[in-house]
Amino acid sequence: MSLRKKLNRLKPHLKTDQEGNRKENVLEEEARSDQSVSVPFVKEWENESVTPYYFDGEYCLVREKAYPLNTKYGLYRFSEFVDAVKAWNQSSYNHPLSSKGFSEEELFFFDTETTGLGGGTGNTIFLLGQASIKGDHVVIKQHLLPKPGAEVALYQSFLESVNYTTLVTYNGKAFDWPQVKTRHTLIRNQVPKLPSFGHFDLFHAARRLWKHKLERLKLSIVEKEVLEIERRDDVPGFLAPMIYFDFVERQNPEGIIGILRHNEMDILSLITLYTHLTYQLLSIDREQSITESYEVGRWYAAIGETSAATEMFTSIAGSEEIDAVKAKLALSFQWKKEKWWEKARTLWEEIVETNYADLGFEASIELAKFYEHKVKDLQKALFYSEKAKDLLEVESLENTKNKKFVQVMKRLERLRGKTAKKHS
Amino acid sequence: MKVRKSLPDFVKDLKLDERFKENIVHWHTIEEKEARTADLPETVHPKLQQALQKRGINQLYTHQKSAYEASQNGSSFVAVTPTASGKTLCYNLPVLQSITENTNTRALYIFPTKALAQDQKAEINEIIEEAELSINSYTYDGDTAANIREKVRRAGHIVITNPDMLHSAILPHHTKWVSLFENLKYVIIDELHIYRGVFGSHVANVIRRLKRICQFYGSDPLFICTSATIANPLELAENLTGVNMKLIDNNGAPSGRKHFLFYNPPIVNKPLNIRRSATLEVRKLASEFLKNRIQTIVFARSRVRVEILLTYLQEIVKHQLGPKAIRGYRGGYLPTERRAIEKGLRNGDIYGVVSTNALELGVDIGQLQVCIMTGYPGSIASSWQQAGRAGRRHSESLVILVASSTPLDQYIIEHPDYFFNKSPETARVNPDNLIILIDHMKCAAYELPFRQGEQFGAVDTEEVLEYLTEERVLYQNGDKWYWMNDSFPAHNISLRSASQENVVIIDFTTTGNVKVIGEMDRFSAMTLLHEEAIYLHQGIQYQVEKLDWEEKKAFVREVEVDYYTDANLAVELKVLEMDKCRYMDNNQVGYGDVSVLAKATIFKKIKFDTHENIGSGPISLPEEELHTSSAWISIHEDFNELKESRLEQGLIGAAHALKSIAPLFIMCDPQDIHVVPQVKAVHNERPTIFIYDRYPGGIGLSEKIYEGMEFILGEATAMIHKCRCDNGCPSCIGTDTSAETAKKDVLRLLYLFAAAN
Repeated sequence: MSLRKKLNRLKPHLKTDQEGNRKENVLEEEARSDQSVSVPFVKEWENESVTPYYFDGEYCLVREKAYPLNTKYGLYRFSEFVDAVKAWNQSSYNHPLSSKGFSEEELFFFDTETTGLGGGTGNTIFLLGQASIKGDHVVIKQHLLPKPGAEVALYQSFLESVNYTTLVTYNGKAFDWPQVKTRHTLIRNQVPKLPSFGHFDLFHAARRLWKHKLERLKLSIVEKEVLEIERRDDVPGFLAPMIYFDFVERQNPEGIIGILRHNEMDILSLITLYTHLTYQLLSIDREQSITESYEVGRWYAAIGETSAATEMFTSIAGSEEIDAVKAKLALSFQWKKEKWWEKARTLWEEIVETNYADLGFEASIELAKFYEHKVKDLQKALFYSEKAKDLLEVESLENTKNKKFVQVMKRLERLRGKTAKKHS
Repeated sequence: MKVRKSLPDFVKDLKLDERFKENIVHWHTIEEKEARTADLPETVHPKLQQALQKRGINQLYTHQKSAYEASQNGSSFVAVTPTASGKTLCYNLPVLQSITENTNTRALYIFPTKALAQDQKAEINEIIEEAELSINSYTYDGDTAANIREKVRRAGHIVITNPDMLHSAILPHHTKWVSLFENLKYVIIDELHIYRGVFGSHVANVIRRLKRICQFYGSDPLFICTSATIANPLELAENLTGVNMKLIDNNGAPSGRKHFLFYNPPIVNKPLNIRRSATLEVRKLASEFLKNRIQTIVFARSRVRVEILLTYLQEIVKHQLGPKAIRGYRGGYLPTERRAIEKGLRNGDIYGVVSTNALELGVDIGQLQVCIMTGYPGSIASSWQQAGRAGRRHSESLVILVASSTPLDQYIIEHPDYFFNKSPETARVNPDNLIILIDHMKCAAYELPFRQGEQFGAVDTEEVLEYLTEERVLYQNGDKWYWMNDSFPAHNISLRSASQENVVIIDFTTTGNVKVIGEMDRFSAMTLLHEEAIYLHQGIQYQVEKLDWEEKKAFVREVEVDYYTDANLAVELKVLEMDKCRYMDNNQVGYGDVSVLAKATIFKKIKFDTHENIGSGPISLPEEELHTSSAWISIHEDFNELKESRLEQGLIGAAHALKSIAPLFIMCDPQDIHVVPQVKAVHNERPTIFIYDRYPGGIGLSEKIYEGMEFILGEATAMIHKCRCDNGCPSCIGTDTSAETAKKDVLRLLYLFAAAN
């Protein structure tokens, strides 16, 4: 029996991985016969400002588009990104997102589209998009793989037009760049080496600043909820693989152009997002909420940028909102670290007086420690320990294994013991 | 006060004890064997020599020495080694030596299970530590923490994994393993004999993919395999890896004295030739040993048997040893549960274990003294593997094979010479089974594009590549085929089972504490997890209250009943295309593709102890369709001596006998083939018996049956002749037929089939 017959017989047992993306065979034949270096649909591509890039008998397609700097995209104009880079250059703060030492033209905003999810070797990147400032324009440059097998041309085209040491991405550290490396490994003998590189990943930043108000932190959601960008006629990203497979067979630009636009919008959003994040981090944004300021302060504190953290916390410590009180507490720890005891004590006393029991509890404990070890005033230490106990919630008191409860009871016991000793 | 008996006492008593001695039909003693050794080769790195000496190894066994020499000569090899013969040194020594010579060297160890991988890591790390070498060896499996995976990929000299992980996690992500694949010098495949049948055919394809990737990165590793005793280790190793191998079988390890007893339960019904149930007999034997705290392993053939025996034994010794002293062990238990049992056996907290063949593998459970097999395990190789569980560390040990009434068991127990003199089974793989091949060619294309003219193992790829292109899975550009799909193919392909999805078993006895207690493949689930089935897990009975076939979930609730359930599977079969055909006289023997429709029909409730049928019910599950290959034989001569009903009964009886004998002669697991009789086969309207491969597409078993049809018919006839029953019994033609003429009819039919004159 022929193999072909057998294959057809066994079809029910053979899993097919795709669903119903069959197209008429005529078109397929057409696409298949066209394997010379001549580019199908050249006219249509030209109308979309797409030109072929030839390399080693293959080609990829390159789309270029420019926007004047005064274009407004969401909350900001692109020119404000230039201001943002300037602001970093003038600031003394160190931060992972700081572009100090770079000019605005040196940053490349970068995003990819792939044929599948996850990070396997066979997940092909078919679109590499980038944007950067050139003079008074934002210039988008997208490199499209016309069909599998042309990846050498694709990566050549991309690598020679970008500085990959200063990419700005959204989750590129975990996804896009590892995938670029994976696909690059397959053709590593034919294209330049990939160096290790610096990377601004805005996903991490978005999570730090907005996880309190956004359930999911997909770029499209941040765009809509934070950056006030409205997308019109956008093709949903999850359709990208389907549309691309169709394009590979038919070569007609009409469908894939939607994906190119989608990718373009993603990249332009990154510029606005970077601008907005900078305005948050450097307190240029007047609309900054207390929560945002608090989160920014915490971020600075976490990376050891003490003066920036202090400044942030101080700026909001006057308010009564919970995040302001949290900022106060955070600030008090900064003072404690620097041994400015009086400043710290004042803050603690203020916090104890607020209505936030949790924060009051921590402040009371701090005061108890302060009086016991620094001032050696056992009475006051006892007073604040009792206060801390009073501030504990009923549930914590009933649960004898509760950490806070155990902590307080130990402290009280020790203090009582010390006091008794002193009096005996 | 009763004094506890030791094993040698037992061995003496068994010969005298009235309850047992009558039933012992054969007593085979294997005398102890002295070690044969050779000096440590001088080329071994001094630090390694020291480490070995610290572990009391001053000399190598002869087979270890041969293994070392073969690796030094750059040969791939397969070493055949029984349990506890120091097989790990056969590969650890060459690997460690070559890493000391070049620290870039990498080795990949493949074990069939995670548990074995863990054992091995511990062992090799001890040597490395004692040698004070800085060699990194890591396991890489589903349990490996995310934060150390990167390190394993980059810096692991020795990466220890399993075929499933290689298939779904390492190969599809090979670009993250560049340093491994560029420097891969050794691939170790332990427990080679496990890789047979469907599983082996899958793994052979995984290895084809592995070699393809090695080639891409410019490495060409040697393969080192170790195997238990099978008839064709060399052939299997070569088929599995696709490289030429050297066979090393000069085992020099010592072994202790072993008593191997064939035990046939007494006949309880003379006219029907019905014997006492093997399960009950094993219960009696095992409890004697367990009461005296002699560590005993009991093997049973099915999961249900395991659970039934476990229930019996736990009941008997509950007061003396406590319920935790005897445990069950089988597939479907969760890994943590298994690890705890293995540990308990090693440190002696657990006296007895009742297991399926899951414990045939080299999982380290330490030294057991007695092994009891409930029924013939189905193959000679398996029997020796199970027997090896007793006395692995050179002490006296006892193995008892308790026969059931099935024809195969009775055949074996009546022919001890056959068992002890015949070479064990041939392990077959068919890596070119189309379904399996195509699955792996998809994975391979995902990993690297195919080139025109490229071979995949022994297969020319072009036709398959064109098929996959038509199916819109691949895309051809110039002389290469590229993956062009949004799926991750390895995730849809399981190496272990024909059906990809397992049924998850969920215990919802206690509201608020609903938990998953196990899983089962779809085919088994049809007859074991249908609604109202009694499912046993660690000796606890559960009733299946709901089986959600769509979602593949079985909801069970704990119950306490005095019966178990047994389900019937109805099968409809038709020939699709005949590939081969020959004639024995006028009788046609055929081989080709068939379609099989299987449907679970009814189940019976069977009472414990008496094993009587106490009720039944219907099963409503959809049909499962199977396309596979089959051999068949038809009677073409016209004959009218048998009326239709007797003909049908006769065919059922003949099928029963053939089903028992066929595995013995093509040497496969009895589960891997099925037999279906038809009074009037659809394709030729003749009385026909089909013997088909259970796996879709077939794995080559029925083709062997086609070739050896005369032989199988002859042996089945001889077996029925020799059986001491009058009118047919479970030991020859089964009990599905009860006519008085049945035995005569079956013999007549077999005679006609064989066209014997």
